[in-house]
Amino acid sequence: MQQIILNILISSSLYLLVALSFSLIYYTTKFFNIALAALIVFGSYFVYLFSVQLNFPFLFAVILSVLIVIILGILNELLVFYHLRKKSVSSLKYFIASLGLYVILQNCVSLYFGDDSKVINNTEVLVGNKIFSVYITNIQLLTLFISSVLFISINLVLQKTKIGKSIRAVESNVNLCKIYGINEERIILISVCLSSFLAAIVGILSAFDTNMSPTFGFNLLLYGLVVIIIGGIGSTKGLISGSLLISSVQHFSAYYIDSKWMDLVTYIILISFLILKPLGFSGKRLRKVEI
Amino acid sequence: MEYILHLIIFICFYTILAQSLNLAAGKAGLISLAHAGFYGIGAYTTAILSVKLGLSFWINLPFAMIISGLIAFVVSLIALRTIDDYFIICTLGIQIIIFSIMNNWMDLTRGPLGIPGIPSINLFGFPVDEKIPFLVLSIVIVALIWLVLKNIYNSGFGKILVAISEDEIYIQSVGKNVYKAKIISFTISAILASIPGVLYAHYITYIDPTSFTVNESIFILSIVIIGGLGNLSGSFFAAAFMVLLPEALRFVGMPDSIAANMRQIIYGLILVAVMMTGKNGVKELFLKKHSF
Repeated sequence: MQQIILNILISSSLYLLVALSFSLIYYTTKFFNIALAALIVFGSYFVYLFSVQLNFPFLFAVILSVLIVIILGILNELLVFYHLRKKSVSSLKYFIASLGLYVILQNCVSLYFGDDSKVINNTEVLVGNKIFSVYITNIQLLTLFISSVLFISINLVLQKTKIGKSIRAVESNVNLCKIYGINEERIILISVCLSSFLAAIVGILSAFDTNMSPTFGFNLLLYGLVVIIIGGIGSTKGLISGSLLISSVQHFSAYYIDSKWMDLVTYIILISFLILKPLGFSGKRLRKVEI
Repeated sequence: MEYILHLIIFICFYTILAQSLNLAAGKAGLISLAHAGFYGIGAYTTAILSVKLGLSFWINLPFAMIISGLIAFVVSLIALRTIDDYFIICTLGIQIIIFSIMNNWMDLTRGPLGIPGIPSINLFGFPVDEKIPFLVLSIVIVALIWLVLKNIYNSGFGKILVAISEDEIYIQSVGKNVYKAKIISFTISAILASIPGVLYAHYITYIDPTSFTVNESIFILSIVIIGGLGNLSGSFFAAAFMVLLPEALRFVGMPDSIAANMRQIIYGLILVAVMMTGKNGVKELFLKKHSF
């Protein structure tokens, strides 16, 4: 039982990071960027390329791949989404464009590395450290630590610093920001950097814990999306409770029913939320137009 | 020659899929990522009915259409509470639920093992197990569906759908039931999507869940977008293009393993290009024609 609770904490911390990275882009641009899934995949595959195939020192490989992912995120923004925004297209078209971008990037990874699953973590599997009668591997410990530190610090940045306040200002009213002289494009770029950074970290952490394949980012991102819809965008408490709910439902259904029904249960939760409580935990409006 | 016929049959399947999605996506603005799910429901209904109960094509087809329509009706009641990108995500969730049932409900669908030994179609004592008769049957069905959709497009109901995608609030204010119209168009689109599923199951005689994944849904959606939203003949040409693209790549000398990924990269690029230029489909991308 304690082991299940621990596993719930670990996977919910990953979902929390994905959801945070997703909502950072949503704050400023108001659309769901599916291409983030490709950035998650890129993060882990670059680590694989540098540390396993090219034998770079590990820490260096991680830093290098995080940097490359951030650059990729900025390129996506500058080459595609910036122009879409200038045309002020509907969020639907944004979504489809980001879907297309995801398909392109994911297949680039498949082309270069192949579709089979890869393992970064080539150290032998440890039994794990035993703490209070539960087993936890070093990677899982690191996952818990890094994700909580990142989540808290990004939220502090959003709440306390000038940049964070500008991001929230752009979220609530773009036109007013322009009047007050906040450069909205610069703020969007900063939030894209932050969210690509988080995506890369999520990819690396989850690839270390389990195997990776070119499509694992998409599943992870969809869970993040479910967390956002359940929790409500822009609400820290909502995100935390959403990710806890989703991962506990997944682990309990895996334990009591069968692990193969995890996805089904997750999306049934999503749909029942859309019926019963369409505004999420936080009560923020999901619909953009009320008819 | 056999292979060319095989490709043309697949063009028929994807034409029906794309044109039926076009009714919901192009006319009513309901971009759905659950279409491969309804395609799969058609195929699985056929497989289960004909293998376990030994029923024939003429019973399978209406059954598949009814089941797919019922599921789509219930789903649309839920999904249409949301709009735009939330609607897409909702349909994505439904697609994953349908796939998960196909992949995991071992007793009913045999999961990843798939269902083999589906008998081929028998039309009035005339077996359709060769390529050519099957092709003729598919073309007849494509033509029928094309006609049906064209009539829906030109009917008063089609006009309401177009009006909804242009200005939802206005059309509501003149007293049309927007919610009902959306539900009807989504349900009709799912009913039509189950037909190629029935044909596919009888044609290949073996089905497994990997033919009905999220990627398949994205593929069908991109056919619709490449062909142009609301453009029936565009959907047909785009389906032909997308089915023939891997063959063209192989013709250039690209190995199979790369061609599959290259095809996806190419359609991803087209999707992004069509969205960025704001044109409706590839035709307008090259002809520089604006439609009003």
